[in-house]
Formats: sequence, structure tokens, C-alpha cells
Amino acid sequence: MATHKEITNSLLAFQEGYNKNKKLKIMNRDWNRVILIKATDVESEHTLKLEDGELSVKEGAPEDPDLVVTSDSETLADLFYGDITPTEPYMNGTLVLKGSEDDIVRLDFISLMIWGE
Amino acid sequence: MALKKVLTLRTVVATSAGLTLSSSTFIAAVQVAGFLAGDAAWLAILTGGLLCITAALCFSELNGLIPSAAGIRLYYSRAFNDHLALVVSLLYMAVILGVIGAESYVLSEILHEAIPLIPPMAWILVMFSVVTGMNIIGIKIAGWFQDAITYGMMLSLTVLALMALAKVDFHLTAPLVTGGTANFVNAVAVGVFLFVGFEWVTPLAEEVTHSKLISRGMLLAIGILSVTYAFFTTAMTALVPREVLANSPTPHLIFARTLLGDAGVPIMLALTLAASITTFNAGLISISRFVYASAREHVLPAVFSKVSMRFFTPWVAVISIFILGVVISTIVLITHRYLTLVNMAAAMESIIYVLAGISVILLRKKMPDAKRPYRVRGGYVIPGISAVVFSVLAIAIFITFPRVFICLALGILLSSLYVNHVVPVLKRRHQQKKAAARRRRPVASAEKAGD
Repeated sequence: MATHKEITNSLLAFQEGYNKNKKLKIMNRDWNRVILIKATDVESEHTLKLEDGELSVKEGAPEDPDLVVTSDSETLADLFYGDITPTEPYMNGTLVLKGSEDDIVRLDFISLMIWGE
Repeated sequence: MALKKVLTLRTVVATSAGLTLSSSTFIAAVQVAGFLAGDAAWLAILTGGLLCITAALCFSELNGLIPSAAGIRLYYSRAFNDHLALVVSLLYMAVILGVIGAESYVLSEILHEAIPLIPPMAWILVMFSVVTGMNIIGIKIAGWFQDAITYGMMLSLTVLALMALAKVDFHLTAPLVTGGTANFVNAVAVGVFLFVGFEWVTPLAEEVTHSKLISRGMLLAIGILSVTYAFFTTAMTALVPREVLANSPTPHLIFARTLLGDAGVPIMLALTLAASITTFNAGLISISRFVYASAREHVLPAVFSKVSMRFFTPWVAVISIFILGVVISTIVLITHRYLTLVNMAAAMESIIYVLAGISVILLRKKMPDAKRPYRVRGGYVIPGISAVVFSVLAIAIFITFPRVFICLALGILLSSLYVNHVVPVLKRRHQQKKAAARRRRPVASAEKAGD
């Protein structure tokens, strides 16, 4: 089981990877989304906010997210560190996503571009 | 937690029905009528619709239990095992690609009839290029457009059917004469094709507020389609001799021409284009996303997960599907064996419904306490009926069309070989690569040691 801090660190690593990729920032200029990241086995909620291509990470839940990403803490930490792809836990049901299919696919694309295959 | 954007029941119904309505369905409708002696096509279609409702109820329970765009892949994986889920999913996608091939062939024949100067192959290339271009650039058909096309299409087909029935002063003379049980079973089996794709709406589970909307949407779509198809098929066969319709890949065009003269051609052309564009586009999007997701899961080679930095779309997957689609369409164009693909889709769809029925039963045993927003009433009766009846229908298709059986058996064999021998290699390679570049553990371990 990962801790809340580990999930925070994984999201910060994700943010750092994102910020290093200028192309990705340009690509996401028009994709303004609020994403809730929620762990099922520990008290842990984070908000990822994409606005004008900039990604910010905040502890706590937003009021009205566009996308909700729910999974166990281990999966979330591994996922945002890029040690696993979102598709694997998604296909076996460990990772649950709530939101538009296009947004879900976009989030996977971003993860792919930050961490590679 | 409320999501900002959610879909309405109207769009769920339109999506479910819209994915089902295609040019190939008219061919299947004529085939249904061809099996029967009297005017009993309506009965076979309504029976097919009723049976599909049992499958829809099963999908509703599965979708509520596991609301995921992964759909059958996840349902079957939980109910049976990942191996079977993968074999079936790969084969299903291949069959859907075949349906798109048949669809593009039918559409190209219609366009060729309307504008004879341009050969069907050119139309196939144009259609595939347009849809592939749309998918690469990332242009999507808007929800309102899907709604307008689907409801407009169903209304137009009903109006045309009523006009035709009025024109011939139609009276049901032999509404229950089927020509024997075997004929009726075959008609219902092929009739299932008319509803192929209604369950493709389940990936929207993540975009609705309540999973019950998906259930209601599917049931309403099947109900509306059953009535529309029953009317239209009865009208087609009442107006035009069955032999004429059965020998053509464009029976609906013949019907429109007979009903409205030359003015019927552009009307039916517009309707067919409307019917095809949604199926065609949705089919290609589904398959290319499946290919991309499979590559991300290391089930297919990693090259298929390449994403365009310009358009944010899986361009390798999209172009691969374009090539495969054009190849299949060309083969259909040369061999004229579009009916094999239609029947193959009907059989495959029956197998999918059999597995859905069994999945409901197995998951109730494996996950008895899991939250089910929707539970099929009557215990195991409806899932059981779905599993048994669709097994019979699949067998009926295999007996009547042995070529379909051979093709699907070959497909299962190839898919199994791939899953057994290639997928483990791809996964192993990925694991080795990932283990060397693992980011989290050293950090996590260091922190824990520090604690």
C-alpha cells in the first residue's frame, strides 16, 4: 500500500515530466480540465488542473471535476511515476475512470508522452 | 461527485441505434425475408429484437457492475479469464473490421449506381480516406448530429415504408407462415445482424450520471429499431419481388426507385450515406482505439501506440486500420462475398451474447456482494435464455453457412495462437525494459528507510 505522500510525489514527478515537454504544453493549450485523483485504500485525494497548457497539482478534491481517476494507492503511485501504463490496470478493472471517453484517451496520451511506452 | 459533462438518454438511444443502422442491415433484412415463406419477416425481426433484449438486459447488469469503456474485455476477463477475453476481443474486432469492409462495399455499389462514371473502388478509397483523415485529425461526429441522423433516418424509413404499403394496398395475407421451424430459426439468426452493435453504447458508461441510462437507452433503441425494421422489410418485400431484392447488394435503392421513380435514388442515397457515416466512423474509431489500447497493454507491438504530436491521435493504429479496411473491401469487391461477412458478424454477435449471458451467471457466483445498480430480474432465467437461444442461433448459422463456421474457427485458432505465443513475448520484453527503468521504487524505498 502506498502512502498519501507517495501519491503526491508521483503526481509531482508527473507534473515535472509534463513541464519538461514543451510540445505537450502547446498541445494542451485548449484542453482545460480538472481531474480528481482518488485512492480507494488510503485517505488520499488530489486535484490535477490543466489550464492554458499548464499543469498544477493540489492536495484535496475539486468541486466539479471533468474526470475522476480512482484506484488503489499502489496503482496510482506506479501510474503517475510511469512505472505502469494506465491501460493495464484499466483493462483489468483496477483503475476506474469516470468522464468523457475522449478525455480518458487524452490523459493516456499525455502519460505516454511523458513516460514513453 | 458530479461530473461537469454528462450524456442524456436521447443521445444514448441515438448512439445505440445509430451504430446499428447501416447500409448492410438492408441486405440482412432482405435475407431474413428470403428465409420465410409468407409475410412473416416482421415476426422474425421482432423475435430477433426480443432476443436481443435478453442480451441487452445481461449487458445492463454487466455494465452496472463494471462500468468501463473496456466493455466485453473486462466483463469476460472477470467472468472467465483474461486469455479468453483477449481471444474473443481480438476476433470480435476483426469481424467488426469485416463488417466495415462489407459496409463500404455496399455503399460504394450504391454510389456507383447513382454516379456510374466513378467506379466502386474509387468510392471505397474516397470513403476510407475521408474517415481516416477525420480520425487522424481528430474530428468527431457531434452528439446532436448523431441524434439528428438517427432519429431522422428512423422517421424517414417508417414514412417510406408506409408510403410503399399504401401504394400496394398491402394486407397481411400470411403473417405467421414461416415455411417451417428451421427457416424461422435461420431468419431470426440472420435477423440478429440487424441489431449488431447496440451494445457498443456501453463504453459511454463513464459519461453518464447513472448506469441505468445505458440500460434504458439500449432497450429503447432495440425496441424502436425492431418496429422500424419490421415495417421497412415488410414494405420492401411487398413492393419489390424478393428474388430481385435478394440478388442485389443495394435492395433499398431498388425499393426507393420502385416507390418514387428516379427521385427515390437521391433520397435513398442521402439516407444510406447518413446511415453509413455514423457506423463507419464509429467502427473505425472503436477499432483504432482498441488497437492503440492493446499496444499500450503490450498485447500488440508498441508501434501501434504511436500518437501524433500534432493532432493527439493514434495515427499508426488509424492508418493500419485504413490499410486493412481497404484490403478487406477490395476482396469483397472482387469476390462479392459480402453476405459471408454479414453472416459472420451475426454468428460472432450471437457468440458475444452467449458469453454475456454466461458472464452474468458466473459473476453473480464470483462477486455475489458486488454493487449492482441494475440486476436482471427472475434469477438465472433471462441470462440462461440468452445463453441457450443465442447458442442455437449461432449453430443454425454455422449449419446453413459452413463457410462462416470455417472462417470463425480459423479466426479463433489464429487469435488463440497469437494470445498464447506472441503476447507473452511482447509482455516479457516490456517487463524487462520497464524493470530496468523503474522510477518509483528507489524513491519509495529510500523514503521508507528514512522513516
